Amino acid sequence: MNEDIDHLVREIRDKPAASTRAAARLMSLLENHPARITELYAGLADWPEPLMVLGITGPPGAGKSTLVDQLIGSYRKRHPQRRLGVIAVDPSSPFTKGSVMGDRVRMMRHATDPNVFVRSLAARGHLGGLALGVRGVLRVMGLMQCQLVLIETVGVGQSEMEVAEFADLVAIILAPGQGDGIQMLKSGLMEAGDVFVINKADREGAAALQSQLLATLNLRTQTGGSGYRIPICLTSALEGTGIAEFLDLLEEQHAQSGTQWLARRRQRFEQEVEQAVLQEAQHRLIETLRNTGIASAGIAGVLRGETTVTELAIALLQISAQGTSQQNEGHADERRIEN
Amino acid sequence: MNAARPRARILIGKPGLDGHDRGAKYIVHILRDAGYEVVYTGIRRSPEQIVEAAIQEDVAAVGLSLLSGAHNELFKRVIDLLRERGAEDILVFGGGIIPASDIPGLHEMGMAAVFTPGSSAKEITATVDRLLSAHQAA
Repeated sequence: MNEDIDHLVREIRDKPAASTRAAARLMSLLENHPARITELYAGLADWPEPLMVLGITGPPGAGKSTLVDQLIGSYRKRHPQRRLGVIAVDPSSPFTKGSVMGDRVRMMRHATDPNVFVRSLAARGHLGGLALGVRGVLRVMGLMQCQLVLIETVGVGQSEMEVAEFADLVAIILAPGQGDGIQMLKSGLMEAGDVFVINKADREGAAALQSQLLATLNLRTQTGGSGYRIPICLTSALEGTGIAEFLDLLEEQHAQSGTQWLARRRQRFEQEVEQAVLQEAQHRLIETLRNTGIASAGIAGVLRGETTVTELAIALLQISAQGTSQQNEGHADERRIEN
Repeated sequence: MNAARPRARILIGKPGLDGHDRGAKYIVHILRDAGYEVVYTGIRRSPEQIVEAAIQEDVAAVGLSLLSGAHNELFKRVIDLLRERGAEDILVFGGGIIPASDIPGLHEMGMAAVFTPGSSAKEITATVDRLLSAHQAA
């Protein structure tokens, strides 16, 4: 696939409501070639952004997809003009690389709503890979004028922490009957939540789960010292209860912290560009290292104690800089000849 | 599948009113084991829902499972809708309880492959592999 990113961006920007296909294509392109996201940077000064990016995570079977389905319904009813996007992440097989993405099953009643865009993503296993995929999809959803983006991930390992990096707010979804208080002492998942939802609240054990959760979170507030009281919502996604209250809570959070979220996104974005620059530099240095004699001769020298790693690194940087300036002069000559 | 090529995404959908999803889930399973990224959309979906999902997910192929006997109508509706949306490059294959006499007609309307009870997992994944690699090379 060698499609023109600029062309797709223009098409989506011009007709955000009628460019589903272009948006879906651009998402695939960025997922399969994550480095090409750098081609979007120049256009980012006036890139549309969602009001809120909400991470939704929790153990398998807690009812995340059903809750997302209810939240879509509630949000669309409250804001008929607004668009929203869902990124549903499911694991990839470490053996075959295959993946089954089934979160959509619960959300299909919204499939033909032109203001709801759902995209499934396979985690694809490799470290940091998921974050790259999500980053591209998220940016395209912004361009499509999605005001709210929900990112759903299974909260069992580290991948959801990567995704939390992109969320303004992380909601952890729990359900009764999925382990006792000891689970709540474990590191990871419970520390990542800004909001907690006890789903399946119509079931036995919901009250006990709520009191355990309160105890855990009170301790976290005391020791953390930020003074922020982590809210807990009770919902039954199956029966549709508590959903409007959950949405109220999210909108309150947006009213309180929306400006901070924007500042934090800007900061992360600067980090992203910094990372991209470093990657590009590393890529160039590796090329120089391999294409010049510095690798074999220099490394042997380090092992004999004749030179140090630092000296070798400085030499590599110098050779690389000379190579680049020669190349640039070369291009300049070509241009002169063309003119 | 070629390891260097990005993994193909396939959507498996069940249009129409029958709720027998064992076949569809079996296909989801074997395609996953063959290394595909498979989006499953569940039972009793309209062709409109399936087509919209296929476009949003930017899949390379849509597989339709149908046991109710309405394959001639519903498979055609999916193909027509994809065409209307300018997405005729998405391959469509299908399977289910389909009389042998209907199969030539289904191919004619644009179904890339039709599988019937007794098609082996090996045959199905090999056919999908072949169709998709021919399609991507074109």
